[in-house]
Amino acid sequence: MKGRKIGRAIAAAGIVVCSLALLQRILTPKVTDGIIERALIAEYYEEAKDHDVIFIGDCEVYENFSPAVLWEKYGINSYIRGSAQQLIWQSYYLLEDTLRYETPKVVVFNVLSMQYDKPQKEAYNRMTLEGMRWSASKVKSIYASMTSKENFEDYLFPILRYHSRWSDLKLSDLENLFQVPRVSHNGYYMRVDVKAAGSIPDPVPLAEYQFGSNAYLYLDKITQLCKDKGIQLILIKAPSLYPHWYDQWETQMEEYAKEHELLYLNFLECTEEAGLDFQTDTYDGGLHLNLSGAEKLSNYFGRILTEKTAVTDRRGEAELAAVWAEKLAVYEQEKQKQYIQYGVN
Amino acid sequence: MKKLIGILLAAGMILAMSGCGNDEKVIGGDVSNAPGSSQQTAGGSGDSAGSAQTSAKGYVFRHNGVTVSVDGDMSPVLEGLGEPVNYFEAASCAFEGLDKTYTYGSFEIVTYPQGEKDCVSTIILKDDTVSTAENISIGSSREDVTNAYGTDYTEQGSMLVYHKDGMRLCILVENDTVTSIQYFSTVLEE
Repeated sequence: MKGRKIGRAIAAAGIVVCSLALLQRILTPKVTDGIIERALIAEYYEEAKDHDVIFIGDCEVYENFSPAVLWEKYGINSYIRGSAQQLIWQSYYLLEDTLRYETPKVVVFNVLSMQYDKPQKEAYNRMTLEGMRWSASKVKSIYASMTSKENFEDYLFPILRYHSRWSDLKLSDLENLFQVPRVSHNGYYMRVDVKAAGSIPDPVPLAEYQFGSNAYLYLDKITQLCKDKGIQLILIKAPSLYPHWYDQWETQMEEYAKEHELLYLNFLECTEEAGLDFQTDTYDGGLHLNLSGAEKLSNYFGRILTEKTAVTDRRGEAELAAVWAEKLAVYEQEKQKQYIQYGVN
Repeated sequence: MKKLIGILLAAGMILAMSGCGNDEKVIGGDVSNAPGSSQQTAGGSGDSAGSAQTSAKGYVFRHNGVTVSVDGDMSPVLEGLGEPVNYFEAASCAFEGLDKTYTYGSFEIVTYPQGEKDCVSTIILKDDTVSTAENISIGSSREDVTNAYGTDYTEQGSMLVYHKDGMRLCILVENDTVTSIQYFSTVLEE
């Protein structure tokens, strides 16, 4: 008798928990609301974890490099764990998270986020944090990222954060409840349209050019983690024309790379060599590369990876080649779809 | 048992759907949905440069009879100042809406999207042909600055930062001379 009562109580609790979980799924914003970057971090977990190169960083990685080209031209199996305004502590914990599944030969980190020394905006935090699977790394990343107005419980139970969306729900909120459509190509966000770079505003003088101690702390942690795991860390600055990359910042990164014997590549200094033309290779006036630009840059970077790291050409591996054949077909399909969508020839 | 489940579910639904107190928060859109922004939107919502002046907050910049106020609506400012020498727009990563930069030679105004409007996020004075409403310009001395704005500032490196009505006026002083003047909104911070 007592056992039956307990059983019923457990069943009742189960129904309540499931109902709230369903409600949470319904209320949580989805990629179908037009912000596809929400899905980038989570997509990684669906992948076979056997990558040679992992990129971490902000939009300057997920919009400027195409893993498809690295595979097609060099047989490099890579993945981009990028997200919008990914802060350096988020990059570190994403790397920690990634290393739970695999140990790549090379990690590539884009250094633009060194400019931020403290948490910035909740909306961007959630782009990175909500997609992470629960782990100690995610918990630490949440605590490192929260602004003064945020609470850990809101990440633990997003329904607490999104409850006010109930009046804005659309049919699309119900369409992709359990199956989120894939939006990236190994973390790469494709755009084929063109918007030439025009006149970029002059850089604004800053109060302080020295990167903050917290930013350096996490850069050190990334460096150390890679060293401990036998991974080659490459620091890069993507060739985005805006926001401005100050000479003082460049000097600090050059010195850091030299001190820690790391390869540092500022692609702003080799746009010509990479064949980039900001009249045709950007879709937003020089902030990010479009497909044409990302493919050129990836081709250029692939050669460097081949020459200066231990990555090897894996196109001869039948199983991996078959996986990539499927990926390339989807990549090509989206290219064609976007060419039509944006009226690009 | 059914009653128990019903009560628990109802409690859950109420928790989920209700405002959970007065601290209602909105998220998921562009920067205009950043927590706190809706409360801090201010100034310049009228349809002329004059009305922008009456609702200005914090330190303001005036040029050719037009008052530019941080967080104020850009449209009356544009109407008053006319076409800029240069215009640049940057889409924010992930979110919809554009950050727009209007360059008028000696000064620059940057805006952020706030619903249907563009509001001023930053004003940057670039040379000594323009000055603040308190008559400080590039080339003024540190003493001029403290005479005009007082000593209630915080220092960030060589920058003197004055806070007023939720905005920041940042004056860069190098070798006792003002080299940059910047007005900033704080709406987009956190």
